[in-house]
Amino acid sequence: MRATENQGSFLNRISIRRNQVVSMEGNHEQELDDLEIFQKHVADRFSNLLSSSSSSPEESAATAATSSDSLLSIAWLRKLLDTFLCCEAEFKALLIIGREPSQVSKPPLDRLVPELLDRVVKALDVCNAVTHGVDAVRHCQKLAEIAVSALGQRPIGDGQVRRAKKALNSLIAAMAIEDRDGSAGSKGTERAWSFGRRGSSAAGASGSNKDQATAQFRSMWWGMAKGWSAAKQVQAMSANLVAPRGNESSGLAHPVYIMSTVVVFVMWALVAAIPCQERTGLATHFQVPRQLGWAQPIIGLQDKIAEEWKKKEKKGTAGLLEEMQRLERLGQSLVEFADSFRFPAEAEKLEEVAAQVAELAETCRRMEEGLVPLQQQIREVFHKVVRTRTEVLEVLDQVGKVSSTPTM
Amino acid sequence: MEPPEESKLGLEEAEEIVLRWDSTTSEEARDNMIFGGDRLEVDRYLNAVDRIQRSMSSVSISDDQAKVNSAIQIAMARLEDEFRNILLIHTTPIEADSLSDPSSSTHSAATSSGGAASADFEDDPDEDKDEEEILRRGDSSNSVSYRSTSSIREIDLIPSDAVIDLGSIAERMISAGYLRECIQVYGSVRKSAVDSSFRKLGIEKLSIGDIQRLEWDQLETKIRRWIRAAKVCIRIVFASEKKLCEQIFEGLGTAIDDACFMETVKGPAIQLFNFAEAISISRRSPEKLFKILDLHDALMDLIPDIDAVFESKSSESIRIQAAEILSRLAEAARGILSEFENAVLREPSRVPVPGGTIHPLTRYVMNYISLISDYKQTLNELIVSKPSAGSRYSGDPTTPDMEFAELEGKTPLALHLIWIIVILQFNLDGKSKHYKDASLVHLFMMNNVHYIVQKVKGSPELREMIGDDYLKKMTGKFRLAATNYQRATWVRVLYCLRDEGLHVSGSFSSGVSKSALRERFKTFNAMFEEVHRTQAMWLVPDSQLREELRISVSEKLIPAYRSFLGRFRNHIESGRHPENYIKYSVEDLENAVLDFFEGLPVSQHLRRRSQ
Repeated sequence: MRATENQGSFLNRISIRRNQVVSMEGNHEQELDDLEIFQKHVADRFSNLLSSSSSSPEESAATAATSSDSLLSIAWLRKLLDTFLCCEAEFKALLIIGREPSQVSKPPLDRLVPELLDRVVKALDVCNAVTHGVDAVRHCQKLAEIAVSALGQRPIGDGQVRRAKKALNSLIAAMAIEDRDGSAGSKGTERAWSFGRRGSSAAGASGSNKDQATAQFRSMWWGMAKGWSAAKQVQAMSANLVAPRGNESSGLAHPVYIMSTVVVFVMWALVAAIPCQERTGLATHFQVPRQLGWAQPIIGLQDKIAEEWKKKEKKGTAGLLEEMQRLERLGQSLVEFADSFRFPAEAEKLEEVAAQVAELAETCRRMEEGLVPLQQQIREVFHKVVRTRTEVLEVLDQVGKVSSTPTM
Repeated sequence: MEPPEESKLGLEEAEEIVLRWDSTTSEEARDNMIFGGDRLEVDRYLNAVDRIQRSMSSVSISDDQAKVNSAIQIAMARLEDEFRNILLIHTTPIEADSLSDPSSSTHSAATSSGGAASADFEDDPDEDKDEEEILRRGDSSNSVSYRSTSSIREIDLIPSDAVIDLGSIAERMISAGYLRECIQVYGSVRKSAVDSSFRKLGIEKLSIGDIQRLEWDQLETKIRRWIRAAKVCIRIVFASEKKLCEQIFEGLGTAIDDACFMETVKGPAIQLFNFAEAISISRRSPEKLFKILDLHDALMDLIPDIDAVFESKSSESIRIQAAEILSRLAEAARGILSEFENAVLREPSRVPVPGGTIHPLTRYVMNYISLISDYKQTLNELIVSKPSAGSRYSGDPTTPDMEFAELEGKTPLALHLIWIIVILQFNLDGKSKHYKDASLVHLFMMNNVHYIVQKVKGSPELREMIGDDYLKKMTGKFRLAATNYQRATWVRVLYCLRDEGLHVSGSFSSGVSKSALRERFKTFNAMFEEVHRTQAMWLVPDSQLREELRISVSEKLIPAYRSFLGRFRNHIESGRHPENYIKYSVEDLENAVLDFFEGLPVSQHLRRRSQ
């Protein structure tokens, strides 16, 4: 029996393949197949995602198209996370099952694997931040629902319009959180909850209402440690993300690189879509060599998303989430309507508004259906990632080095 | 709740009242509050709202309907502000002495004396232990309800007249279809109240990355603080918030008070658990075991309260997260134990401990498993599988053999402890081989195995788990080592004092080879001096063992020397320079033996025998 048999019961769980005596050659071929298959699967899955995102968020938001899979919609994000989970599962099998533990600690893996694990730990914080962000999105959804409810009544009178306007102003203020002009300002942050007299007003003083809503949004939804930045975190994750070259590119180094790229991409996409703490300065590119075949779909997606992000930075919109973009567009339009409203309104105008309200309602419905499952999926990603990391760490600790010499 | 005289209020009058309080049109309305002012005005306003509401269904002409709707909206906007204002006025951070641990009756005195505003939670591990013991002793099947009713303590966050006012407002807002606004206002004010309670409790927002970077001893402090804070959070803060929601929204539908509750506490609850989660996924190393067990136990204790406070469907995710963290902590504990065993087996230091004394590894391991036996209640639940030891027939030289079948009726935890002792000895055995002196090899093993035995005997829990059978085995082992030591050192020394080879002819009194005899004495002296010089530097730390060993040595050495001297001294003394050969008296040797195993150098010269 080999020495590995006796080292801890957890190894017994991993695979029965260990007990097989396989020739070096046969093993090698099998290995190559596994690596190629993994690569192909990754390419296929992301290709799927690319083609299903038929239009850009702006395009589909501008039309009333309810292609619910459009890029960075809730449904698309859920698909993205599913894709991630599949890749992750395959990668784990590749790395751990049926392998001699010592393989994982030989150069260059002795550097690459810990780097991947480090990225993965950073991804966990991103998951947490995005989860908070989804709560923020739900908050916006609820504001939009007020507007839907108000403007859904017949006839539309001053009362309903004022109500809708109040909610929509809050909505827009909340979404302008990252406006760099600072009008949704940082100065508002602590003022909001001074005790004493009435701080807010009704529909009229929209300025202070906006400030308050922004401050409220920030203090309630960000939730991460002070100074934590999603943009910086993603940036840190993409550090050292370099394709293996030369003789390094055989063996497991390549799948490790692939998986690293997938992790960084998925986290980056999530941060681009969901408003979370401190996204200013989110890099729009991380280096993936364009000649890598399997990476083409990912690069394609990256390009699309980056384009949208740049547009966003110019306009100061909040989050690329397709549903949020809709909320914003419709919100702006309906606020304009509300501002210029005189009872009774023209039939034509009312028809237009009704259509927009219907679209808003539909968007809210999709959010209602999809946001909680999205959060659950993010949680699942968190789990799977933690589990894999634990198992990889166990394998690493097995191999030769004692993780800590007992201290006195 | 029936306002008086409501039927007398005309619709126009009602609308007028509402319009009077429209803050967008009246400065006076902007600067004053209805609630908190004249109670009659409050009643009047609420009546007005009710009146208008009632007319919603009966008004048919679209113009009138628009007016009514407009009035309702104005009233609702106003009520929303009033609602917010009442909440804000009564949102004071929870008092420090309310923030004492509810499961300990003596605790509140301690914390309130400790300083008012910032609850400074002193560490009091003994008290923690007692509490935990008390809570654990209950039969687990009954103790769920017992625990949750006795340990949850809801306090009144808002005075009851304010609660009633809030309820009145909520009622109107909800029946007018303004439920969402109501929930949002409520949630935003109460959430920041919870946030400030969190700050008072010292709950920090730390990212997983932050926690990975901290030194373990810093984390230990944070864990201790977290445990205290979490108990207060769940049993007091969250429970009280839940009660408040129930009070305000009483009779208005359970989904509503639940929605408000979740709006208030979901974020903070996640923030609270994130810390424990981050700890549960930190890298495993042996020193973390006990704090992780503390965290595990504290969380396990809280689960019934968590389940009670977060019992609704919408708060399922929080319950699930708590359960997940608990299971990860258990896993971490198991993993750490496994890793510890590995570390003990593979501990690679090759530098021999000077003097053959107790190796630091031995001390560390025995202290560690002593602590483990303190935590045996929890660990017995967590450790369910046997250690995977080599079997007798494995022939693997890098791992000891252990047949667990022999150890019937022992818990898996006990088996693990025995296994740890086995691998410790195995490792020590390997280390002992680095001594050049064979005697020292045995002395080293004797010392260390003896230490193990003493530690086991010294702890009743440990002794009970290890069992007297294995204890006997180890005792035999160190006694054997003692015997081996003696053989290794003294056989050759005593060989000098043998009879054979000294007599030239067969007779006794004459025919002794003087030269051989002189050689013998010289050799004996040299050997003894060397042994004395060397082994005085060796150390047997345990005084009783040291005595026993010396006595055992003496018992062999002294009679042999005495008899040798007695028989052969005349032959030496009748020759030249007898002092070169008979250097030591019996007394000298007896005294010299007293130097052995003291760990101190002796001078080169022994006292010469007095002539």
